[in-house]
Amino acid sequence: MTDAHAAVMESHWGGGAQPFGASWQKTMMWIFIVTDALLFSGLLCGYGYLRMASPVPWPETARVFSIPFIALMTFILISSSATMGTAVTAARLGDRKKAFLNLCLTIFGGLCFLGCQAYEWSHMIHEGARLTTNPWGAPQFGASFFVLTGFHGTHVFSGLVILSITAIRSALGKTPAQGVEMAGLYWHFVDLVWVFIFTLFYLLPS
Amino acid sequence: MSDAHGQHPYRVYWITWALLLVITVAMLAAESFHLPRIFLVVFLVAFMMVKAVMIGGNFMHLRFEKSNLGIMVLCGIMVTSLILFAFIAPEAKSVLEKTVR
Repeated sequence: MTDAHAAVMESHWGGGAQPFGASWQKTMMWIFIVTDALLFSGLLCGYGYLRMASPVPWPETARVFSIPFIALMTFILISSSATMGTAVTAARLGDRKKAFLNLCLTIFGGLCFLGCQAYEWSHMIHEGARLTTNPWGAPQFGASFFVLTGFHGTHVFSGLVILSITAIRSALGKTPAQGVEMAGLYWHFVDLVWVFIFTLFYLLPS
Repeated sequence: MSDAHGQHPYRVYWITWALLLVITVAMLAAESFHLPRIFLVVFLVAFMMVKAVMIGGNFMHLRFEKSNLGIMVLCGIMVTSLILFAFIAPEAKSVLEKTVR
């Protein structure tokens, strides 16, 4: 083995059995998260295209939505991320009771968020928003809203399923700390996507 | 290593939580000042990125992982998204000009 080869192997890019210094489960979870992030990146770019190319003015979101209500949804999701982080660390430290309690709080936060979203959707539909039309302006607004928040809501829902299974299994001692950590990675990712949707869809001025 | 492995293992999450809330409130407050659109957009996007880095670094532990994992994630997502957007934005502009004309 040459010196150069040895130097490369010792560097961050050396590879070997664990090229990312993480177990294969965690590495695969991260690769999944990158691909899932690219899904949302595509959706957000598509929304950007529709908004920029629209000859009809884009609706002013502050008039369509109740921004304090959206802020409440953001608060719920950020708080559930913090309890999730606490659960991950508690699981790693072997505090199974604390991990279970915080997982339950996270699930509760996720349920509240989904409830808010269901309320928002039914309100929007009641006001006359559809995939192809809406009463406020550019017709593409409806499709952007339902597709972006719908995909995100589906991710929240699947996150809740994963968290429920993880909570029960970790309370029974069947899931190792790493299982809780990977459920946590997914949950934080859902929170991360909301940061982008919240800013780019709800806050960006017309 | 920081708090995540120290004496106060949970503190890092709640500090991050508080900072995220402060930034969110600042973003909402910025909406109510009638700033020129370009300033507001730059401000919102900049703080969106700060929030994303805080969630990725502290909640998802990228700060505490081997650095090439973070580089892979960041480059994989950011470079692809920026290339996508860089090709889409001028196209949208030209479509708009043709429609309006």
